Amino acid sequence: MSLAYALRRCGLMVYTLLVVSIIVFGVTQILPADAAVVLLGENATPEQLAALRDRLGLNDPAWQQYARWLGGVLTGDFGISVRTGQPVLPTILDALSRSLLLALLSIGFMLVIAVPLGIAAATRRGQLGDIAFGIVSYVGVSLPEFVTATLIILLLADTFKLLPATGYVPLGEDFVAGLKHLVLPVVTVSLIMVAHVSRMIRSELVDALHSDYVRAARMKGLPETRVVYGHALRNALLPTITIVALDVGYVLGGIIVVEEIFAIPGIGRQIIIAIQSRDLLMIQAGALTLATTYAVMNFLADLAYAVVDKRIQYE
Amino acid sequence: MSDAPILAVADYTLDYRTRLGAVRALDAIELTVGRGEVVGLVGESGSGKTSLAWAIMRALPANAIELRGTIRLGAVDLRAQSGTDMTHIRGRRIGMVFQDPAASLNPTLTLGAQFVEALTTHHGLSQAEAWSEGERMFARVGLADPPALMRRYPHEASGGEKQRVIIATAFACRPELILFDEPTTALDVITARQILDLFLELQRETGVASLYISHDLAVVSQIASRVAVIQRGRIVEQGGVSAVFARPAHAYTRQLLAAVPRADRRLVAEMSGHGKQLAAVRDLTVRYGRPSLIADLLGRTKPMVTGNRAISIEIRWGEILGIVGESGSGKSTLARALTGLARFEGSLLFDGKRIGGATDMTGGYRRDVQIVFQHPDSSLNPRQRIRDILGRPFRLYGVPDGRPIAEAIADLLRLVRLPAEFADRFPHQLSGGEKQRVAIARAFASRPRLVICDEVTSSLDVSVQAAVIELLVDLQRKSGAAYIFISHDINLVRQIAHRIAVMYRGELVETIAPEQLSTHGPTHPYTAALMAAVPTIRAATTHAGGTS
Repeated sequence: MSLAYALRRCGLMVYTLLVVSIIVFGVTQILPADAAVVLLGENATPEQLAALRDRLGLNDPAWQQYARWLGGVLTGDFGISVRTGQPVLPTILDALSRSLLLALLSIGFMLVIAVPLGIAAATRRGQLGDIAFGIVSYVGVSLPEFVTATLIILLLADTFKLLPATGYVPLGEDFVAGLKHLVLPVVTVSLIMVAHVSRMIRSELVDALHSDYVRAARMKGLPETRVVYGHALRNALLPTITIVALDVGYVLGGIIVVEEIFAIPGIGRQIIIAIQSRDLLMIQAGALTLATTYAVMNFLADLAYAVVDKRIQYE
Repeated sequence: MSDAPILAVADYTLDYRTRLGAVRALDAIELTVGRGEVVGLVGESGSGKTSLAWAIMRALPANAIELRGTIRLGAVDLRAQSGTDMTHIRGRRIGMVFQDPAASLNPTLTLGAQFVEALTTHHGLSQAEAWSEGERMFARVGLADPPALMRRYPHEASGGEKQRVIIATAFACRPELILFDEPTTALDVITARQILDLFLELQRETGVASLYISHDLAVVSQIASRVAVIQRGRIVEQGGVSAVFARPAHAYTRQLLAAVPRADRRLVAEMSGHGKQLAAVRDLTVRYGRPSLIADLLGRTKPMVTGNRAISIEIRWGEILGIVGESGSGKSTLARALTGLARFEGSLLFDGKRIGGATDMTGGYRRDVQIVFQHPDSSLNPRQRIRDILGRPFRLYGVPDGRPIAEAIADLLRLVRLPAEFADRFPHQLSGGEKQRVAIARAFASRPRLVICDEVTSSLDVSVQAAVIELLVDLQRKSGAAYIFISHDINLVRQIAHRIAVMYRGELVETIAPEQLSTHGPTHPYTAALMAAVPTIRAATTHAGGTS
């Protein structure tokens, strides 16, 4: 992979984030929430409000406010939360770390299940196992996570009482309890991804197994395992990299629902709380953090793709 | 030469199960390949020649039903081998070289890795031993700088280099038999010639027996000692190449031979005098690519790919101007520029009017200048019936004499010798040749004055090609339209063009009349190379394959 390619991708990422920051700032400007009212409460006098607005610079033109905010963001100062009175950044990072833990565990777990499942289905194409896989994974794709989550809680936590239904224990505090609390959310988040990633691997692998170069590899007399794992799978996994990277974004965004159900204090919950309390700076920081994570993941996927498929950077 | 053949196929009969019932693919095939012998298997698409290759390799699709017959490799009955048995035979005892080198190499593995795995699997060589053997073999097949090439990926090598790698791999394990399935069809004329020469050289050196499958009679006549002609799953004739090609016994063989383009058989009447100019291009240059944003910001100019460089040529009323050259020579780029599909610099005069670019190409120009593309599959909308496809130019430009469109469509179909009922069909219900006729009909619907034919017969079988060419010549005579006939086949162009323009790397290197080419020969060395590379049928001479 050439440095120029990496730099070009990186430049594109920075550009994307700049656009995102404008949108995030713009949206919070349009929101019917007056920071001064939020800070002083409904009973403040107009004079008090005017004075505070003046002090916060809320009367300045929007672009000046944006520049001030962006300047703060770039130096790590996201402001003070109106709800808690604490700096925004540590709160967000704390929440993000919990969400990332959940997301990465889910993706890891998902890959461990989905890749072998996709391979097994593709190599048994048209047989009973493949057809069963098709039906089950189709159902899996169709079910929204709140349904899966509810079913899993009912089955594993309520009926069999194997695992705690909700809550969060930091791994550093009590490792075993922390893991136990993570199992159900991880399974919930993974399931829906298992369904579509394994379907993707299956269809890509089926295509690859019918390609000319796989036929050529067979005609060289290579054993079937080497044909599948050494030739076909390499190519079948390429599009999966992109899908998994998109899934990281999906997980972080879609995790809001799961965090709400399992009462995990992650970034999703943090944003919901911020919206409910009209904590503008917290909303901005949360949205920007999610977008950054998403962009970074896509950037890493692009790099990974270029490492695996040497043709990419020439396009 | 020993008596026992390497490959013996006897009474082999194969069906494919389809939704419409069983379809016979191969019928009582009798074919042998002796030690050190090159046998050509010639047939058109759908004749079953590739099915036979898959049957030999035991890699038939799941819907194949083998009814009877035997396939023997030496003493081994291939039909009795299990799947794992075959992995020890494929690659080690029977090698195979495929049609498209780009598709038959794995894009994510280096060329070296794809060579080495055959040797490590079959001969138990270590990675290092196989790698150094690879360097030796890569050098043997004429590849420059083998150590560097082995570390490269397929997309970093040219088509010819890739096919050399595949040939090196096929020969690496010293098999007794190699199946060649149209190994030069996807290559340029000149590259194909080099690959053929390499094949002959290696074949002579190793004495490997080969079954050479091709639709190209000329190629087979040059490399094989015996030939079998296959038609709809039956071998209709087989024998020594000289005998079969000089005195074909079967009508189908005669038909195939007659369809092969021959430069000495002109299909058009010569132009009477020097015709009036219809179109002229002056210093036409086409560049591809767009400047990147970052390069723009940094003030750097990114070099663009030049498709055409300062082409100047004129086309006269009712003339067939042939354009030949290998792929990438800029033939199609010229067609794209003339139809407004590519932006160009320089000047284009059409019927006295100046055309500066696509915006100047008014309805009148587009009506006068029509194009027929290489692949009818992608140039005909698969969701439209033939009626809709042919009706569109009439709706755009009007029907001559104000007749109903349905009538005009029926006339148009008749003009290209298709039944009027075809109007109700979809493209997929037509054969390749029929589809191309529809595309030709569409081009003629607007009564154009210039028709650009861009490799219109390249994807067709040789006998279908002959029929389409005859149709085009007939239409040209009736309509008086001028043609720009683009082809990589110089023999074909010599049959029908009034003047031949030769293109090489984006430039027009020579414009020459076919009769001058026949009497005085080419003036440009590239034209000479092109003519030398195109195989012609060799019937009466002896053959390398049978003598050594």
